[in-house]
Amino acid sequence: MVEYTLQLDSIFGSLADPTRRDILRRVSKRQLTVTEVAHPYEISLAAISKHLRVLENAKLINKRKQGKEHYVSLAPSALKDANDYLKYYQKFMEANLDSLEEYLKKGD
Amino acid sequence: MAEQEEAVIITRVFEAPLEKVWQAWTEPEQLKRWWGPKDFTAPTIKIDFREGGKYLYAMHGPAGTPFDKDMWSTGTYKEIVPMKKIVTTDNFADADGNVVPASYYGMPGDVPTEYQVTITFEEVDGKTKMTLKHVGMLEGADDMTNGWNQSFDKLAASL
Repeated sequence: MVEYTLQLDSIFGSLADPTRRDILRRVSKRQLTVTEVAHPYEISLAAISKHLRVLENAKLINKRKQGKEHYVSLAPSALKDANDYLKYYQKFMEANLDSLEEYLKKGD
Repeated sequence: MAEQEEAVIITRVFEAPLEKVWQAWTEPEQLKRWWGPKDFTAPTIKIDFREGGKYLYAMHGPAGTPFDKDMWSTGTYKEIVPMKKIVTTDNFADADGNVVPASYYGMPGDVPTEYQVTITFEEVDGKTKMTLKHVGMLEGADDMTNGWNQSFDKLAASL
């Protein structure tokens, strides 16, 4: 439980910052080098590195070194879960609403 | 509409007056009698039905299935428009109401994502049309902008 709470905190913390949300959105489209990530923002490369570190710690992005460049990409596991869960939820809710329908019929 | 792809939308028309469907969703004694899929029971239903109030439900699956245990869910009522609309957050929980990821119950989802459920009620020719919309948000903070929710939906849908 403690572990879940910590992870939750780090994800919420990561996404609380607009620059980090923007970075996440951009790297979700394709992987970017750290320089490319930094390009649109008027902040230092050091500040960008700090943002990336926060996202990495929350397991929202992956960083990979290839030659001289560091590539940043979205960590699929962080977000794929949401899709799988929604499919499950739909099945659950349909079954749940069958129960409600049954209940409302009985009540007549 | 990429942002729609991440939402589950279910519409049902119930052959019952709107008031009755509303009560079925909002009164604990009634929810206890139907909450959960077929052959599930709802041993605990606690509701503090006001904006900012919380609910805590337990459902229990049939013996001999992996769901033969109390499975808790919790949420906070964000908006209540009597006989019209209920907006709540929705999460799996432990028995104390602490939020847990879906994987806690052996379901997909290691990241503790917060979901928002909007249920609307509408009378149509003496029947009740109910629409349930379920949207995932990676963040749970109230001050998050709606724009980000949409962005996140697009993000997840693009994977």
